[in-house]
Amino acid sequence: MAALAFPRHIHTAPKPSFFNNKPKTKLRTRISVQSSLTPPQLGFSDPFVLELAEALEDSLPSPSSSKLSPLEKIRDVSSETLLSTPWPSRKDEPFRFTDTSFIKNSKICPVSRPPPQSLEAPLASPEDTQLLHLAIVDGHIVDSSSNMSGLPDGVYVGSLSNATSESLVKRVGEFVCGFDWGDLFWSINGVGAPDLAVVYVPAGCRVENAVHLRYYSVEASDVGSNKLPVSNPRVFVVVEKGGEVDIVEEFMGGDPNRCYWANPVLEVVVGEGGKVRHSYVQNQSPCAAHIKWTSVRQDAESSYQLVEVSSGGKLSRHNLHVQQLGPDTVTELSTLHLAFNEQTQDLHSRLVLDYPRGSSRQLHKCIVANSQGQAVFDGNVKVNRYAQQTDAGQLTRSLLLEPRATVNVKPNLQIIADDVKCSHGAAISDLEESQLFYFQARGIDLKTARKALVFSFGAEVVSQLPDASVQKKVENQIRELLDPQ
Amino acid sequence: MASAPSLSTAQPPTAVSLRNRCTLPPLPSHRIRPSSSSSSLSSRLPTLRSVPIVSRCAVRAALSTVDRSATPVESGDKKLLLEVKDLTAVVAETGQEILKSVNLAIYEGEVHAVMGKNGSGKSTFAKVLVGHPDYEVTGGSMMYRGENLLDMEPEERSLAGLFMSFQSPVEIPGVSNADFLNMAYNARRRKLNQPELSPIEFWAYVYPKLDLLNMKADFLNRNVNEGFSGGERKRNEILQLAVLGAELSILDEIDSGLDVDALRDVAKAVNGFLTPKNSVLMITHYLRLLEFIEPSYIHVMENGKIVKTGDISIAKTLEKEGFKAISEM
Repeated sequence: MAALAFPRHIHTAPKPSFFNNKPKTKLRTRISVQSSLTPPQLGFSDPFVLELAEALEDSLPSPSSSKLSPLEKIRDVSSETLLSTPWPSRKDEPFRFTDTSFIKNSKICPVSRPPPQSLEAPLASPEDTQLLHLAIVDGHIVDSSSNMSGLPDGVYVGSLSNATSESLVKRVGEFVCGFDWGDLFWSINGVGAPDLAVVYVPAGCRVENAVHLRYYSVEASDVGSNKLPVSNPRVFVVVEKGGEVDIVEEFMGGDPNRCYWANPVLEVVVGEGGKVRHSYVQNQSPCAAHIKWTSVRQDAESSYQLVEVSSGGKLSRHNLHVQQLGPDTVTELSTLHLAFNEQTQDLHSRLVLDYPRGSSRQLHKCIVANSQGQAVFDGNVKVNRYAQQTDAGQLTRSLLLEPRATVNVKPNLQIIADDVKCSHGAAISDLEESQLFYFQARGIDLKTARKALVFSFGAEVVSQLPDASVQKKVENQIRELLDPQ
Repeated sequence: MASAPSLSTAQPPTAVSLRNRCTLPPLPSHRIRPSSSSSSLSSRLPTLRSVPIVSRCAVRAALSTVDRSATPVESGDKKLLLEVKDLTAVVAETGQEILKSVNLAIYEGEVHAVMGKNGSGKSTFAKVLVGHPDYEVTGGSMMYRGENLLDMEPEERSLAGLFMSFQSPVEIPGVSNADFLNMAYNARRRKLNQPELSPIEFWAYVYPKLDLLNMKADFLNRNVNEGFSGGERKRNEILQLAVLGAELSILDEIDSGLDVDALRDVAKAVNGFLTPKNSVLMITHYLRLLEFIEPSYIHVMENGKIVKTGDISIAKTLEKEGFKAISEM
């Protein structure tokens, strides 16, 4: 029943269930066969993509074991789709407003060096290291910089390759290739991911402390060098029936003159009645490209909450896909995009409802405070035939603070079921004059008033970050953006 | 001239000639107020300013009921706070003229009330005084302590001591009352070259003010006016006045939408700020408020002008007979 709608750019039909995981029989040599630059049989392989795929393939060590690990399975499937996917152009609807030529025109080189086994001090502040956190450097998991003490029994956070439990590896293997909605960047990650980080929460287990995933891009080039090292971090979160966990993803930029391309993928599977609260903070270098995929599958009565604050990157895109696998799910998405520099902030979200009584709330806010800045939002909610009594709400609000600042918003609901409650709205504005005057009438100058109002616009999303320390950090980042030194 | 005003220089020449025409005898000691307030009342300047000549004699007559015999008139010592002359203003967007030559002078320690029909220009007058961007001044002058208000930004007017309570204050989602007040209070401290208060220091300063208005502490944590009832909004406006202080408080229909208890709280708070130095300009439709906050003068506004000035008896006539009675007087 999930196969009610076929997206145009996907060549395989969505599978009805994510438990469909028959082992593929493809050989790992597929890539090297195709990368010999002979025209591929299907006739529409993009030479640029082929070259990139080959480079990614070469950057990774060849598989050691004969048994197909989940990561290798991902690589296989991804290389297959990669070959039939050209680099997106502005003519493709999903990229109509998002120009990826900045990446394409750079000399992309896969990160080759394995990262240092311990990170330099400035990457993590001392109080942060106390937290439950996993450091992911250029896509590699760095155990020495991580702190995983005090996890409940049965919970695993770390590289899949270090996991000792057979059943865990097997369980993850059941899920890894059950997502068919990805695009080119999803496949690039699948081919290039050097490691697979796993967060596993067994049935009925509630993880008290948030699991922090810290992503660093260590390999970078200088501005003007036109080189763009790409890294492909990949994380898989499995929460079994009744389990609960908070995931905090933080992407750190560091030096503002560093150029790199982070191409991360996060997959989340929430079992029946499970709860995942996901915070995602993107603060990459203003010269970086950041293309992220988040794919969530929600079983019956599960709940998934996302709070995102993205402010970094020259080109930043978040592809978010939430798929319902059973009835009575709760989905809450709150996102804040800030374009204070010459940059693009893009959110492409899709929520697919196939079962009854799902409830979803989506709030997307963006602030564009640069005349060369741009925000893009395409928010799709599909309420398919069996998704009766769905309650879906979607609201997007944008603040344009400079002349020629641009926002392209496309909230859209596709409803096939006939007994649903759905709403959507979009508002684009400058700050309210009446509010500004209220500040002035109390002796507060216009500049301070504007800052306070911009800050408060974002506060609606920021205040939903469950972790107080993360919230504080994000507030400080926004204050810095408002008041650059 | 207005920076060091004395009675003779501050008044327009017409007032002098008026005085010659209807010389007033010393007023009889007929009290219309409780004795507790009579001394402050009697010290208020009962002279006529900014009133069209035709109505002046009548106003003078009306004022004669005020007890001024207790202390000699001290008008000469008082400082002129606000002087508005021939003020005209239009709606910025449409160009529609709302204020058609308003004249008014307020001295330190005086309480003025402006009454008038809906649409007569009362609220516009209040907003123009504090620089609301919806209106554009097209003529006349507004001097505050000798400074031209027209040259000042709204925030400068506020810092100079003008405070207007909004008739319908806007909601500001995402900004807490405490933060807002702290920001505004620190802007004042900066202006006075005093160190700014941290949120905790400010909390200690603001906390006692809540009692004054019978407000709960959680009020400070709520976002400015967001989801406030009509009464809470009005109380919040007066709380801001209590925190920030003002030399001239302009209270725009502070009584509308308030029940009697709330009105009493608000009036008590306003009376608490009244000193011989502080002045109030109230805009109201009802006598009720004037019974709580006693005005020295009542002005009646009609079609963008102040057409009549007098004492509390005007308000009483209004309450009984409506604006028609005033127009016919």
